[in-house]
Amino acid sequence: MNGPSVNDRISPELERQIGRLLFEKMQPLLLEFDRDWHLVNLHGDAALFGFAPDNAANSVQQLQDLFLGMPMDGAIDLPFVQMPNGRNAHVHLMLVDGGHQVLLIDAQGEHDRQQAQQQVGNESFLIAQQKDKAVRQLRQIRSELESQRNRLQEANALKNALIATLSHDFRTPLASIFGYLHLLEEEPDAPLETRNSLRALRRNANYLFALAENLLEYARSETRSSLLAPVVTDLEMMVEDLDQMFRVQAEDVGLGFSITLDREPGNPPVLDELRLRQILVNLIANAIRYTQSGSVKVSLAWRGGSLVLSVRDTGVGIAQEASQAVFVPFNRAGNAGNGGAGLGLSIVKRLVQQMLGTLEFESRLGEGTCFRIELPDLTHLVQKVDAPVESEAGQTHADRASSVLIVDDDPDMSHLLGEIMAGVGFRVRVVADATRAVEQALADPPDILLVDVELPGLSGNTAVFRLRAKGYRGHVVTISATPTEEARKVALNAGANQFMTKPINIEQFTRAMLRVRRSD
Amino acid sequence: MSATASKVCLLGDFGVGKTSLVARYVRNTFSDNYLTTVGVKVDSKEVPLPDGAARKLVIWDIAGKSGLDALNMSYLRGASGLLLVADGTREATLRSAVDLLLQSRTLLPDAHAILLINKLDLVDRWEVAPATLVELRKSMPVIETSARQGDGVEQAFLEMATRLNA
Repeated sequence: MNGPSVNDRISPELERQIGRLLFEKMQPLLLEFDRDWHLVNLHGDAALFGFAPDNAANSVQQLQDLFLGMPMDGAIDLPFVQMPNGRNAHVHLMLVDGGHQVLLIDAQGEHDRQQAQQQVGNESFLIAQQKDKAVRQLRQIRSELESQRNRLQEANALKNALIATLSHDFRTPLASIFGYLHLLEEEPDAPLETRNSLRALRRNANYLFALAENLLEYARSETRSSLLAPVVTDLEMMVEDLDQMFRVQAEDVGLGFSITLDREPGNPPVLDELRLRQILVNLIANAIRYTQSGSVKVSLAWRGGSLVLSVRDTGVGIAQEASQAVFVPFNRAGNAGNGGAGLGLSIVKRLVQQMLGTLEFESRLGEGTCFRIELPDLTHLVQKVDAPVESEAGQTHADRASSVLIVDDDPDMSHLLGEIMAGVGFRVRVVADATRAVEQALADPPDILLVDVELPGLSGNTAVFRLRAKGYRGHVVTISATPTEEARKVALNAGANQFMTKPINIEQFTRAMLRVRRSD
Repeated sequence: MSATASKVCLLGDFGVGKTSLVARYVRNTFSDNYLTTVGVKVDSKEVPLPDGAARKLVIWDIAGKSGLDALNMSYLRGASGLLLVADGTREATLRSAVDLLLQSRTLLPDAHAILLINKLDLVDRWEVAPATLVELRKSMPVIETSARQGDGVEQAFLEMATRLNA
């Protein structure tokens, strides 16, 4: 078999050739020193490693420094040492008789290869580390933002709950104030001073009531989207009510006031009555607040399945640049001096949107403003339209209604209701809690039961439910400080015939009670 | 009469700024470009001491690694002082510096050691907590440095020279 010949010895000639080749590649510099580090001899290119012949002492010192502190008892290898000129070399110290030799072998090529390789690896590592750090920081920021958002949501929920509770709790005392005001205003012989005082009381009670309504609406809209509650709406009653509420207030500041209703016969309007009332209260209150002289004219027109209402004043007007800002909550568009919380128009806009209506206004600074709102009929949103609040869900009691049992833990309110009912001929009994109400109503069933929802212990609704479950067939009117459709439904489901919200309109209430008696 | 010379080695993970500290101290220069060191760079500088004496420091800037291999051990031979360098913005390099010190103690049980926490100019991004440094100061001198701005650099080498001269 023919193949390469194998020889375990390299010929001297070949060895010399290899030696020459390596010598040329490594470009060695050999420096020979005596025992005291005096340079004795030098072989090779000294300049390649930065050793200047004219500064030999300094160069030798630098070499000597490399071995500082090392035991000179054998050979020493120092790979990749940077020389004075920046070139890299492998340094070998060898002991010889009478001194030592230092061999420098050029390592620049190998150094550069290794440096390039390590540079890539190190930079990749550093970049990866920075990336990890950035990702950790982002996660931490996100986590902090989430916890901040949770805290803010919690604070916001607390704020809304507080607003809702406060505005709810305003209603009961306001109901008393309005009720007693009504009784006092009915006094025929009251002196002028007293009448003026009563007007001031009514003005301020109106303001407090509107403010409480707005705050409740504001809190409600932040916590959930409000569902529409379409009912057959008695526009005549509403106009009458608003006239009574605002005429005196306008006249007291020297303004003309009118409110008109143009209503086509038939087709009773189905609207969200509570929201409509709140829209009108806000627009009229604003118009009176921002009008120094002239008049405030309100018109409602029910035609062709939509309600068009306008509120026109001759007041300060709204600047063009503030035309959007007026709808921002707690913004009074430069009219800060005129009072008001700055919620009214923002709530009006929201309510109109909820009722699927449109809102527009025209205004001239110094001449006045006219708001025009169009609200569509909401019959299509309900399969069965609920009866108006003052209508009866069922007249089942047989006897003539001449006795009433009032259930209310607020003595002012129960006294007021008692006065009103006694004033129109009812025999009145009063209890302050639901348990006693159930006992008394069963022992001596009244023709009418007036019951407050929020009672200590059992709620008014529970009392009504128990009474109905035990066969009580009288007329039940539930009175609540919560003016929501949900509260109304709960009350009617429990067995009430009517649901009224505080503060109650005394005249409306009285008429409703008399109707109950006449129907028997 | 020439000053007594001592070999001082800088040890630390890669990228902590050893080469930059030497450049700042010996040549008063700084470059933002990171260039990894392969092998060793040797510089020297004579440090005048407060008592009028002087100490020549032969400064070995050794390629950065988190552990000592045979090659780095060979560079350490004969060293009288160790400057352990960590990067304040990378806490892991502080652990490496402490590990390097413990490993080097087998070869250099008596060498003076000072811990330098570099990149003081980026202190708002530091991962090393002040409380950690308080603990470390109980066992060795710790100096915060900035090769970029020069803070603590002179102080570090002077401290080493002073200790070597003591």
